[in-house]
Amino acid sequence: MRKVLIVTLMLMLALGACAHADDVKIGACIYRFNDAFMLRFRQAMQAESEKLGAKIELADGQDNQSTQDEQVDAFIADGVNVLIVNPVDRMSSQSIIDKAKTAGIPVVFINREPTEEMLATYDKAYYVGAKAEESGTEAGELVASYFKAHPEADKNKDGKLQFILLKGQNGHQDMILRSKYSVEAVKEAGIEPVELAGAIANWDKLEAMKIMNGFIMSIGPENIEAVIANNDEMALGAIEALKAQDYNTGNPEAYIPVVGVDANASALEAMDKGEMLGTVLNDADGQGSAAVKLAVSLAKNAGAEGADGKYIWVPYQKVVRGEKQ
Amino acid sequence: MAEKTASRSKRLMTTGGIIFLVLGIALYFLKAPMGLTRKIYDLPVFLIIIGICSAIKGFTAKDKTEEEAALAGKTFTEFLTNNAILLAMLVLVVVICILQPRFMQIRVALDILTQSSPKLIMALGICFALLIAGTDLSAGRMVGLAAVISASMMQTATYANRFFPDLPQLPLWIPIAAAIVACMLFGALNGFIVAKYEMHPFIATLATQVIIYGVCSLYFDMPPNNSQPIGGIRPDFAQIGQLRLFNGLWKGFPGISILIPIALVICVIIWFILNKTVFGKNVYAIGGNREAAVVAGINVFRNIMFIFILASLLYGIAGVLEAARTAGATNNYGLGYETDAIAACVVGGVSMSGGIGKVGGIVMGVLIFTVIQYGLQFINVSPMWQQVIKGVIIAVAVAIDMTKYRKK
Repeated sequence: MRKVLIVTLMLMLALGACAHADDVKIGACIYRFNDAFMLRFRQAMQAESEKLGAKIELADGQDNQSTQDEQVDAFIADGVNVLIVNPVDRMSSQSIIDKAKTAGIPVVFINREPTEEMLATYDKAYYVGAKAEESGTEAGELVASYFKAHPEADKNKDGKLQFILLKGQNGHQDMILRSKYSVEAVKEAGIEPVELAGAIANWDKLEAMKIMNGFIMSIGPENIEAVIANNDEMALGAIEALKAQDYNTGNPEAYIPVVGVDANASALEAMDKGEMLGTVLNDADGQGSAAVKLAVSLAKNAGAEGADGKYIWVPYQKVVRGEKQ
Repeated sequence: MAEKTASRSKRLMTTGGIIFLVLGIALYFLKAPMGLTRKIYDLPVFLIIIGICSAIKGFTAKDKTEEEAALAGKTFTEFLTNNAILLAMLVLVVVICILQPRFMQIRVALDILTQSSPKLIMALGICFALLIAGTDLSAGRMVGLAAVISASMMQTATYANRFFPDLPQLPLWIPIAAAIVACMLFGALNGFIVAKYEMHPFIATLATQVIIYGVCSLYFDMPPNNSQPIGGIRPDFAQIGQLRLFNGLWKGFPGISILIPIALVICVIIWFILNKTVFGKNVYAIGGNREAAVVAGINVFRNIMFIFILASLLYGIAGVLEAARTAGATNNYGLGYETDAIAACVVGGVSMSGGIGKVGGIVMGVLIFTVIQYGLQFINVSPMWQQVIKGVIIAVAVAIDMTKYRKK
């Protein structure tokens, strides 16, 4: 009997702490710390928490779902008011949602999206992220608008866009959606896309360089009108292969527009040099601060401001620089 | 009878060569008027080269003694099994040329040589470990280490995400030396544990492999870089891997990649070391029969140390070239290169049980592998099938080799 009393008291105390707006404590689980994109994300979250006066604790899931599950348990035991989770395996998010539900604290997923059914099982489960299809669409639009503005880009004068597609890891949601929607966007713009060749280069620069080199040899650079890559590293690999054939080195006669996604530093530099046409920024800063804002407001029971149902979508941004614009 | 076979094969080569030569020259002048330029590309040039080589070989081949001739000309089937992989490659090349005539270009041939070059450097390094009946699993990770170290110090001053923000523009040799020395330290570690504790190189280099990857990842994760791919490489450094000699010598000539002469020089040096130095003889002796080598007074410890350090020097060079060629690096560079190098060595006739292997064979092994891989990619065979084919080649090549040795 006494035990029950103590537990109830402690619970009340804990609830009291929750209601107290000023000391929100966030437990954030990141799938893996040494991921360049998640690094930017983390830094944005920390900055935003500091701004809002909330405490944030971060855990490195080391790319292992069971490690992450343990970290979620530890955070809950530690008494955090809200969880931010970047799941290792998005399909295993249900157990995390259940844990949060049992503990009665809100959970905000970032970067890797649980299914709609999973989010529906708990009223305080949300997702903050970017729509992968949007990055594909914008990359496609970059190519389409270049193609329209530069009649010489249509090398064989057939009005169609002969392109090469460099894809990320097989089965990855971003790879599937970016590939699909970049081609769709070209079609939307009224240009018929013709995929000369497509290959999986696993997000990797070196692999993309080898594959692109093969395509340059077998198809001939004079027949390629654009290269669409699922990320910047692969776009840069393609550019290295093109440069080895004296393409994209400043001579307007020998230029193939290349686009990527991410807007990393190397890509920005390549755009400055005029080697790369453009990229799409996956806005880690915007997503990081949006996630923290949402988490804090949920922890304070202030509702989910700016959410579209259970989602907050942070838009991608097109980035184009240099004289080729 | 035997005499007849000998002269016949010689005559066959000479006449075959001349036929190729004539055909090549004829096509060379006829391709434009016959409108074949877009159908056969540089085929005539290749025919001329093959013709000349074959004819020269036929002319200069020594008249074989009866016994040798009897051995050489034994049976047609034996010839087929002995050269099965080479023949399979030739068939594949012909098939690819038919499917995709663009394959018959000088630039494709040069490209294959370029891609072979780093692989050859790796294979020449790893062959030492194989020659003493060992292996070296740390090779690929050393490539990654050398790539990351050299690239990290070779960024342009204006690049936004510099690895060392305040590093001045160093002369080229410093980062290269640093990268190679780092590899050699780990090579020495390999050698030390293998030689001192008589650990099997498989285990010793497995341990080093894991350590190297860890160390490389730690270095790569240092702030402000935090595991981001290294970019913004200085053009003068990139030139080490990207320079093309004689570029534009005539119209459309893509130039010869600097990697080809680098690999050739290394190849000659390694050939010299293996065949003309005491160290080289010791390597074969240790690989052939370790106990006998010890009894003969060979300092096994010193030789093994030297083997692994020399090998790591080559991996370091390969890593630096890889960083320069791609103008970038991540800690994942070099992943799996050791298995490719071992496979190329084995296909080139290096025995995993030690003591057997020639530089010429390794060159062949690397070329066969690159041609097949490049060719399959060229006709757009799925990467998954490429893997299957690669595996089959390794198994078949070694199986043939084993039956050959068993007969002896």
